[in-house]
Amino acid sequence: MSLELVDVAKTFGTVPAVDGVSLSVASGEFFTLLGPSGCGKTTLLRVIAGIHPATAGRVLLNGRDITHAPMHTRNLAMVFQNYALFPHLSVFDNVAFGLRSRRVGREEIRTRVRDALAMVKLEALAERLPAQLSGGQQQRVAVARALVVRPDLLLFDEPLSNLDARLRDEMRFEIRDLQRRIGITTVLVTHDIEEAFTMSDRMAVMQGGKIMQIGRASEIYRAPASRFVANFVGPINELTLGAIETVDNRRRARAAGELAVWLPDLEGTSRAAPASLILRPEVLRVSAGELGTDNRFPGKIEDVIYLGASSECRVKVGAVRLSAVMPSAAAAQLQPGASVSVGWDAKDGVVVDAG
Amino acid sequence: MLDRRTGAPWLFVAPLVLVMVVGFVWPLVQVLVNSLHPNTPQGIDSAQWTLGNYARLADPFYGEVLLRTLRISVIVTAISGLLAYPVALFVSRRSTRAQSLFLLAYISPWLINTVVKALGWTLLLRTNGMVNTLLRALDVIPAPLKLMLNETGVVIALIPGHFMFVLLPLWVALSGLDPALSWAAGTLGARPSAVFWRVLLPMTLPAFIAGLVINFIMNMTVFAIPMLLGGARNMVASMLAYQVNLVSLDWPLGGALAVALLAFTLALVWIGQRGAGLLLAARSVRP
Amino acid sequence: MILVNILMLVVVLAPVAVVMWMSFTPTATFVLPLTDFSLRWYREALSYPGFIDAFWLSFELATLAAVITVALSFLAAYGLARYRPRGGGALKAFFTAPLLVSAVVFGIAMLQFVNRIGLYNQLSGLVLAHVVLVVPFAIRSLEVTLRAVPEELEWAAMILGRSRLGMLLRVTLPLSARGLVTAFLFCFLLSFSEVTTTIFMTGPSLQTLPVRIYSYMSDRIDPTVAAVSALVVMVSIVLVAVLNLLGGLRRLTTE
Repeated sequence: MSLELVDVAKTFGTVPAVDGVSLSVASGEFFTLLGPSGCGKTTLLRVIAGIHPATAGRVLLNGRDITHAPMHTRNLAMVFQNYALFPHLSVFDNVAFGLRSRRVGREEIRTRVRDALAMVKLEALAERLPAQLSGGQQQRVAVARALVVRPDLLLFDEPLSNLDARLRDEMRFEIRDLQRRIGITTVLVTHDIEEAFTMSDRMAVMQGGKIMQIGRASEIYRAPASRFVANFVGPINELTLGAIETVDNRRRARAAGELAVWLPDLEGTSRAAPASLILRPEVLRVSAGELGTDNRFPGKIEDVIYLGASSECRVKVGAVRLSAVMPSAAAAQLQPGASVSVGWDAKDGVVVDAG
Repeated sequence: MLDRRTGAPWLFVAPLVLVMVVGFVWPLVQVLVNSLHPNTPQGIDSAQWTLGNYARLADPFYGEVLLRTLRISVIVTAISGLLAYPVALFVSRRSTRAQSLFLLAYISPWLINTVVKALGWTLLLRTNGMVNTLLRALDVIPAPLKLMLNETGVVIALIPGHFMFVLLPLWVALSGLDPALSWAAGTLGARPSAVFWRVLLPMTLPAFIAGLVINFIMNMTVFAIPMLLGGARNMVASMLAYQVNLVSLDWPLGGALAVALLAFTLALVWIGQRGAGLLLAARSVRP
Repeated sequence: MILVNILMLVVVLAPVAVVMWMSFTPTATFVLPLTDFSLRWYREALSYPGFIDAFWLSFELATLAAVITVALSFLAAYGLARYRPRGGGALKAFFTAPLLVSAVVFGIAMLQFVNRIGLYNQLSGLVLAHVVLVVPFAIRSLEVTLRAVPEELEWAAMILGRSRLGMLLRVTLPLSARGLVTAFLFCFLLSFSEVTTTIFMTGPSLQTLPVRIYSYMSDRIDPTVAAVSALVVMVSIVLVAVLNLLGGLRRLTTE
C-alpha cells in the first residue's frame, strides 16, 4: 500500500506546525520522518493517522483520499511513544482490541492474536496486564497490537525512545526484520539519526514544518542538501567560501579567508549566494609525510582523542581548525605538536548555502 | 488535543448547558423579573414594572434584620479569622497522614447534615443542655446561662460550621510555602513573631482574604442554624426570605430580597478577588 | 497553637458526638453521667413512618440527582477536556457558578420558578434543583479524572477501528470508573444533606429526611430525632469513608 501526501499543511490557531509537505512512500517501504523536536514530524504523523485533520492538502492511501476520513475507518495502525496500551485490559485483550472492533470471529481472533504474540515472542504473557510487563515487553505488545489488524500502513511515533540503549539496539533490528518479513508500508518518526539510518529505506529530514531533504541514508549523509541537514545528521567541518572561480574546468575558492581549495564538480553555474564547504571528519587525511589528495595544507596537531575503534585528530591549519577521524591504528603515530599535512579530495567536499 | 472541527464538542456540552439554563439561569431571571413587578392581592401584576419592591427593603424592620445578619456574620468571620492562623500553622506542620486526619475533622461539619449539627448544638446549649448541666455540676455558675434562642447561640454554632472555608485556602497556601523561608528568616535573626508578621502573613494573605469572604457569605445566607438556634425573634435575612416567600407569599418582595442578597454576595466576591489580586501585585513589586 | 486546635476540634466535633450520645440514652431526658445504653430510640425512629418515607424520598432524590449530574457532567467534562473549545473557560465558569449563589437565594429562585412552570411540590423540581447544586463539584472532579486518562489511549482505540462512542464505552469509561464512583458518591452525599434550598421548594407533603428532621425539631426535641440524626450521620460517615478510600476527598478539597 502506498502513501502519498500532497501539499499537506496543519496549523494550530495561527501557528503552522506542518507547512506544505509533499512526499510519497512506496508500497512496502520503511520511511522515516527525521528531525529535531518541534520540527512538525509528529504532527505530520498524526495528520496521516487522522488524529489531527489536515488544514490543507491531501492524504492518499493507495490512491484513496483519506484526508477527511474518520480515524477508525483508515485501516492503519500506530505504535505510540508511550505504547498507549490499555491498562485495564490483558495483553491478549490489548492485541485483540482492533480485531474485535472489526468484528472478527472468536476463533479467528484467538489464532490471530496467538500468532501475533508468537511473532513478538510473548505467547507466555498473554494473560498479564500491561503494568506487569517490562518496557521492552510493552513495546512488543504495542507492535503486535498494531500488526495483528493487518493494516494498510504502520505508523511509529518515537517507538524506542523510552527504552534503554541496549534494548533499543535490539528492538531496532527486531522491528526492521518484522517489517521486511511482512512487507508492510511503514512510516516512523524519530529524532535519533542512528535509528533513522539503521531502520529506514528512505527518510525525510524536517525542519520548521517543512521537508529539507528526502533520500536514502547515504545520500543524506554524503550529499546533504543544506547546512542544516549536514549538521543534523553528523559532525562536520564547515569552511565559509569566498567567490568561486573556474580554472581549467575545475572550481576553486578561498576557504575561511585563507585556504585556496578545489571544490567538487557542481552541476550548473557558479553560485551567487554565499556558500560553505562541508567536510565530514572521516574524509580528511592527516599524515606526517606527503599526501596525494587534491587539497593539502601544512598544519600542526593540536590534540589526538582516542575514541576506541577510531580516533579524532584536531589539526590547526593557519587560523583554521579541522577535525579528522581515522582508525585508531592510523592515529597511533600522530603526536600533539607534530607538523603534518592535512588534505582531502575535492569530490569529498559538499558545497551548500551558507548561513 | 483534538481539533475544533465540526460541532462535536458542543454535542458533549449541550445537555448540561441545557439543564443549567433551565434549572439555574431561568429561575434567577424569573426571580429578577418577579421582583420588578408590583404585588397585588390577585398576585403578581405582570403588566406593571416597578422598583418599589427594592424601596420596601429599606423599611426599618427589614433594616434591623439586615443589620442583625451583618452583625452575626462579622462576628463569626472575625473569630474564624483569628482562630484560622494558629490552627492552619499547627496542622501544616504535622505529618501528611496527621494532616489529612485533622483536615477531615475540620471538613466534617460540611459533610454532616446541617439539621444534625443544629440538633447537636441545641442539645448542648439549651437551658437544661449539656453545657449548663456540666457547668452547674462543677459549680462554675449559680444559674443556667442563656446560650441559645439569642445571637450568642447562632454565633457559637456557625463558627465550626463554616470554619473550613477559611482554614482550607490558608492551609493550601501554607503547605505550598517553602519551610526554608521561615528557617531562613529565623537564621537571619528574626524572632518567631517577626517571621509570622514579615514572612508568613504577607505570603498567605490573599488566600486568607479569599477564605474570609467565602466564610462571610456563608454566614450571611445560612438558614437552618439561625432558625433553630436563634429562634423566630432573632430573625436574619434568610429567615426573612422564608417568611416573605412562603408565609406572606409576597414574591415580588421576596424576589427583591433574593436579588439584593445575590448582588451583595457577588460584590463581596468581586471585592475580595480584587483585594487579593492587588495584594499579589503589590507583593511582586516589592524588592 | 495546640490549645486552639484542641478547642476547635472539640467545638467542631461536639455537636455530632452529643447527638450520637443522646441517641443511645435510655431515658427521655438527659442525665449525666451516661450509665446505660439503649437502642430504644432507634426502634422508635424506625417505626415512625414520617422518617421512613422521608428517608426513601431523600434516597430516591439523591440517587436521581447524582446519576443525572454525573452522566451530564461526564459528557461536558469530556467535551471540555478533549476538544478544548473556544469559550471552554467561560463554560466551566458557568457550570461552577452555582457555588456563587447561596442556597437561600437559589431556593427563592427555584420556589418562584417551579411554581411558574407547575412543578411545585414535585420530585422532578427537586431533582432539577439538586442537579444544579451539585454540578460544580461533579464537573471539577470529573475534569481531574479525565485529565488522568491519557489521550493517546483514546487515539489508539480509534485508530484500531473504534468509533468515538465505541472508544468511550470501551476505554474512557472503564478507566474513569473510580472517578465516576467518587463523583457519584459525593453528589449523593451533598444532595442527601441538602436542607436550605429544599425547604424553600417543598410543602409538608414532600419532605426529604433533613427537612423532616428540621420540621420535627421545630416542634420538639427528643431522643427519637437524635436517633434518626445519628443514622444520617452514620450514612455520611460510611460514604465519606468510601470516598476517602477512593482518594476522592483530598482531590475535592484541594482542587
